[in-house]
Amino acid sequence: MHSLNTLVLAEAQRDQWLLKLLEKHLVYIPVLYEDRVHWRRLDPADLGPEASTLTPALRRIRASEPVKSFMFNPRQQVGAFPDKLEHAETKTRVLLGVKNCDLVPLRVHDKILADGEFKDPFYAAQRKNTILVAADCPVPEESCFCNLLGLTPYAREGADAVLSVGDDGYLFEVGERGQELVSVAPELFQEVSESDARVTKRNTERESAVAALNRINPQPWSPDLSAAVAAKRKDDSFWQKHSEKCVECFGCLMGCPTCYCFLLYDQAKEKSLDRTRVWDACYLAAYARVGGGANPRAEFVKRFANRFICKFSDFKSDHGMYACSGCGRCFKACMGKIDIRKVLAEL
Amino acid sequence: MSNPYEAIPATILKTFDETPNIRTFVLKPEQEIPFFAGQFVELTVPGFGEAPFTPSSSHFKRDTFEMTIMKVGRATGALFDLKPGDVVGARGPFGTPYPLDKFQGKDIYIVGGGVGLAPLRALFLALTHEIDKYQRIFLRYGARTPNDLVYKHLLPEWEKLPNVDVDLSVDVSDEKWMKKVGVVTCLMDDIPCDEKTSIAVVCGPPIMMKFVNQRLLDAGFQDENIYLSMETNMSCGVGQCRHCRLGPYLTCKDGPVLTWAQIKDIENPFV
Repeated sequence: MHSLNTLVLAEAQRDQWLLKLLEKHLVYIPVLYEDRVHWRRLDPADLGPEASTLTPALRRIRASEPVKSFMFNPRQQVGAFPDKLEHAETKTRVLLGVKNCDLVPLRVHDKILADGEFKDPFYAAQRKNTILVAADCPVPEESCFCNLLGLTPYAREGADAVLSVGDDGYLFEVGERGQELVSVAPELFQEVSESDARVTKRNTERESAVAALNRINPQPWSPDLSAAVAAKRKDDSFWQKHSEKCVECFGCLMGCPTCYCFLLYDQAKEKSLDRTRVWDACYLAAYARVGGGANPRAEFVKRFANRFICKFSDFKSDHGMYACSGCGRCFKACMGKIDIRKVLAEL
Repeated sequence: MSNPYEAIPATILKTFDETPNIRTFVLKPEQEIPFFAGQFVELTVPGFGEAPFTPSSSHFKRDTFEMTIMKVGRATGALFDLKPGDVVGARGPFGTPYPLDKFQGKDIYIVGGGVGLAPLRALFLALTHEIDKYQRIFLRYGARTPNDLVYKHLLPEWEKLPNVDVDLSVDVSDEKWMKKVGVVTCLMDDIPCDEKTSIAVVCGPPIMMKFVNQRLLDAGFQDENIYLSMETNMSCGVGQCRHCRLGPYLTCKDGPVLTWAQIKDIENPFV
């Protein structure tokens, strides 16, 4: 993001701004529920002096739900036959508080669904329709490992605005499209210079978040992780050892912010059909099975390996980036407690 | 923005039974599908799903196209219940065509097994349509029994074409069969073309592809001159959903035809 200006919004004026924002857009924020962060659609009733206190969990790590779900929906009707699907316009959405480990994965989806010869019009429309406000991640948790992927716990690009939470207000770096957020109530924002104490404090906090990540994950992976994974491509014993505790629940893939596999399936109606695009998981036995029944990855160990090969070797060689952002959802969800970091550390 | 997941209606004009479980469908799409030999089309059987098939007719005539399909699963089972006049969905063309410009001036050695002759027929018709551009065309085709051969009515006509050499085999013969008996590699004991420059094109069941490919390599064919139709599970057809990933390739985009040079390092490509 090319930041055009740095602005401050006082804590006392937050709700006033959000109410203004809600007049034009749908707004989603991360909130705390049973000590986990979840996305929630903001309602005007949540705000103002009479409302029960609503605390956006902006300083916590990423929400349980990956942000991709907003654009690459778990289920999306993408066609009808013989009729054509009507495409409805929707209100612009503002996602307030996207962490960098959810922002970077959107580039994965852009490459697959928006940048190729064939474009997914549903993804493209929802992507275009979403204003992304990133939030710094000042308190990394034990499950975080974005540093091992060369990422930072704050957004550097891909957001329309980046916010950090200060003692008595919010600091915004605002890009071109982010101006829309300010323009709903410009009088509430105050421009500050790069030498402002609040900017300095934010920068210090960013540095300490990076230091915390380096303490959590001190050992870097192989400098050429892509080659290291590719070298194990056919080494079943390596993958067997690490997959022993997997119960094939696919929680790691369903929670993953980068996984983009999908299946088109048709639902018959009386005289027509609806075509739906649903998330799919490469751990599923039928995933690669062909019509005649042959299956190149009939054994689970091959499917387990495929996940790593896809994310760290194939995607890197095809698109120049890893399809992993270090969010840690995969092993937080894992019943067998398989820690992706430990698997990759052995390469 | 156009929607790559949505099919256009295509009416079944005629059907023709090739074998008890292989049928040719003549389809008229609402708009022309601008395919070239080797590309495929996703066919929707309303209510039952979608599957990829390669047109088996010539790309020089596209107002209608043909697909020769074996009944193997749910979608193909439902397709066989449809009658002329019924409407299916079609979207495409997808994938990469045979690079015919690279075939020019060369001998083309085509090997098919069973229903694998269907996509090869599109290639064969494209080649014979402009026969002067190529040296000679060899077609080697095998099926399980004489009854399992597809295009039985066309094969005698193809044999008569100039610069075309056709030879057939069956695994199990009957009393009327006058040609070779054995798996299709029995037609490859003597390959009458220059192994250093000729093009080989293969389509058939995986086990047949594996042995034919090996036979071609033993005969001295160059890795990059052996074109193989790879079968993978496909869903989207447009290079997104990743189901058809084969080593570094997406067969729906880079294939379904890949050369041996492309796939030789992939673990067990003929599954």
